[in-house]
Amino acid sequence: MESTRAPRADLFDPTALSALGHFEIVARWIVDGFLSGLHRSPRKGFSVEFADFRPYQPGDDLRYVDWKIAARADRWVVKQYEEETNLRATIILDVSRSMDWRGAGEEPRLTKRAYADQLAAALALLLLRQRDAVGLIRFDDLVRTSIPPRARSGQWRRLVAALAEPGNGRASDLAAALGQAARLVTRRGMVILLSDLLVDVDAAVPALRGLRAAGHDVTVLHIMDPAERDFTLAGEARYTDPESQLDVPAAAADVRAAYRTTVDHVIAEWKDRLGALGAGYEVILTDQPYAIPLRLAFGARERRP
Amino acid sequence: MSFLAPLFLMLGAAAGVPLLLHLMRRNIATRVDFPAARYLLRAEAEHSRSLKLRNLLLMLLRVLLVLAIALAAARPFLPGLGVGHGPTAVAVVVDNSSSTTAVVGGRAVFDRLRDATRQLIAASTTEDRIWLVTADGRVRGGSRDALLAEVARIAPSEGAGDLGLALARAASAVQGSPLPARSVAVATDGQRTSWASASRIALPLALLLPSGDPPANRAVLAARAEPARWTPRGSVTARVETRDSVGYRIVIGNRTLSRGATGRGEPIALRASPPERGWQAGRVELEPDDFPADDARHFALWVGPPPSVAADPSAGAFAATALSTLVADGRAAAGGALRVASADALSALPALIVPPADPVRLGAANRELERLAVPWRFGTLDRSAVVARGGRLDGVAVTERYRLVRAGVVPSDTLATAGGEPWVVAGAGYVLVASRLDPAATQLPVRAPFVPWLADMLSLRLGAPAGDIGTPIDALPGRPIRLPAGAETLESVGGSRRSITAETMESPEERGVWFVLRGGRRIGAVVVNAPPEESVLERWNAPALAARLGGATARAASTSVGWVGDTYAAGATRPAGAPLLVLALVLLAAEALAVRSSRPTAA
Repeated sequence: MESTRAPRADLFDPTALSALGHFEIVARWIVDGFLSGLHRSPRKGFSVEFADFRPYQPGDDLRYVDWKIAARADRWVVKQYEEETNLRATIILDVSRSMDWRGAGEEPRLTKRAYADQLAAALALLLLRQRDAVGLIRFDDLVRTSIPPRARSGQWRRLVAALAEPGNGRASDLAAALGQAARLVTRRGMVILLSDLLVDVDAAVPALRGLRAAGHDVTVLHIMDPAERDFTLAGEARYTDPESQLDVPAAAADVRAAYRTTVDHVIAEWKDRLGALGAGYEVILTDQPYAIPLRLAFGARERRP
Repeated sequence: MSFLAPLFLMLGAAAGVPLLLHLMRRNIATRVDFPAARYLLRAEAEHSRSLKLRNLLLMLLRVLLVLAIALAAARPFLPGLGVGHGPTAVAVVVDNSSSTTAVVGGRAVFDRLRDATRQLIAASTTEDRIWLVTADGRVRGGSRDALLAEVARIAPSEGAGDLGLALARAASAVQGSPLPARSVAVATDGQRTSWASASRIALPLALLLPSGDPPANRAVLAARAEPARWTPRGSVTARVETRDSVGYRIVIGNRTLSRGATGRGEPIALRASPPERGWQAGRVELEPDDFPADDARHFALWVGPPPSVAADPSAGAFAATALSTLVADGRAAAGGALRVASADALSALPALIVPPADPVRLGAANRELERLAVPWRFGTLDRSAVVARGGRLDGVAVTERYRLVRAGVVPSDTLATAGGEPWVVAGAGYVLVASRLDPAATQLPVRAPFVPWLADMLSLRLGAPAGDIGTPIDALPGRPIRLPAGAETLESVGGSRRSITAETMESPEERGVWFVLRGGRRIGAVVVNAPPEESVLERWNAPALAARLGGATARAASTSVGWVGDTYAAGATRPAGAPLLVLALVLLAAEALAVRSSRPTAA
């Protein structure tokens, strides 16, 4: 029997999805698709106290269109509600130079940065729709953006606008970003770190421990390009880290197996160290549909009281 | 190690490419952005030992791969490695002498030798160089198929051949080849007499000598008509080699003259007076045995009419009586073609001449001898009693004789002597006796041999027909013979003919009697028989013969399989191209496996 249900955007290939529109719109599709896949009312348990109007945008649920205003003024507006928030979430996004990279392969992929931006936008929208307060910290060698968690209707636009700002400092100062987050989120909440984790683990873990000590739920989504995971590059070259300018001559075929073993060890080390802190950790490859990281993050939110 | 295409070894220089790439890796110019370079550095640090080993292994595999391909392309030949055999120059001496027709174990030895030779040639490759040499020394070369056809055409020869010559030619052919591996293969029955004259060769030699004892042989070792010219009476004598009694048959022309049985050491003799005239072929045959080639031996004879003889009264009564006896016996005919007379009464030759009864007539006698160009003169009378020596006249007492004095240089034969001096001499058209045929001068007229002696003198010395009939020419098959002047054609008993192009030519291979024709008339005969020693089938011991022909390194085999192996093992090298290609494939697979182990697995 042929299904009449529309395809779920959260299951689309990220690269193909990003070609369909601005990531703000794409984020909506992703979240709508994700929520429809939950088989539950997206509004269940939400507060319904009216807060504001805003212009209708394609994709908005027609149930929230104010038909009286539409009849009187011939303009479509959507009613917004000030709903109670039981979670303050902060998305910490790594925008260092290493994130602005994608491996060359048969299929074009998003850069880690583009993938993380899209994922951050979708996460923010998802949380905002659940009336959670969402903040954003973008960092490279400096903290580039710092938006405190809010659940207001304009928060989403602020976040989207911030995501479009440049980054790409030479290095990643994860400890500084986490410290900033600790200062921004005074109440216990959820911290979602999107980063390629090309940082010193010994320097990062104390900062994460501080967040955990403050009572935050920490989920680390380790963004990796498949080429970084399996070293699918070919040929002999000097492989150079654009951040640190570390230069390693190698023949890909010769070191591939050893590299994969090393990456396995690195992932295991992150998992062990973060697991010991009680923080969640998942490796997200940039060719995976967004549903995977969304489910991980949403799962973490659901586990909150 | 040797190579068929050594230029391809230059490909081996390509083995430096992996080495060069391995070294150049330390100087890579290409830069690739890779944020996770720290993992790469850590991987190299953590696995430096295994990475170095792996890189070294890969480099070695690639170097060996290139070297293996280069070596295989150069088509190498290695001792003890590879399959088949290396390019080998082989000369095969096939003993097709008459003795190989002996049947051993129900099969002729020659058939075994030929089959083995066929197998040896069939086992050759297109890179081998093969010659076929038969017992007559003839060398044949060509492609494998051509030589196989030649082998099929080879037949046993009628004679012994010259295996020593064949071996020398085989060695010479092989030594002239540029191929690195050389070998001489000999397939023989190992007959001791056949290899008696062979010299040792300085080449690897593989000998095939089939097992089995030679058969007990019966052979006609000699057969002869005596005299060669019968007028028309004569005898056939033969000598037979046999361990026990054996039946024989004597044939002249198409008639069997005699049948009988003879035993070991018993000669065969038959006197006969056949009705045929002219040159005739004869043979002595034995009952067939396992070596039939020597069960018959051929001879030739000339049979003519009895001489026409007249006795002059000056020759004395004894001569007249003896002649009348011969005429009565049919061994002479009354007539005037031949005369028996005293020298002073002669008018013409041919004649049997005796001294005059009256010594006064001695001068006239000598003058007559001079007139008839007889190169002897009667000298002083000698009445000393002496004994004659020579042929039938041995022991005849002589009491009166004229000393014979030579007058001229025309050659003559001394048939008998008396007192150490010529007593009976003979030449063209004359027989001169130095004593009267009278018991007062010699006991010859009253001795038993007188009449037969006189018959021989008349028929053999004086009764030859016009023209030079000559005596039969005994020949071995295929060996040079000298023919009478003016000979035009050889004709076999069966009627086949061969033109004669020179006085000296090779005798026919086919045994038997070949008549010599001039102007369509038979003027002689060539009798072709195998040498008697070919009937001696005693063999060499295989290792001993191998050592004799090829020295300590020579190998002997009794089976064709072993012989073929020995022949091609002489070079001790085999083509190693295929194993090297297999090695290259294995190296390629190993290299692919090593590389694949580092590739990412499919998601």
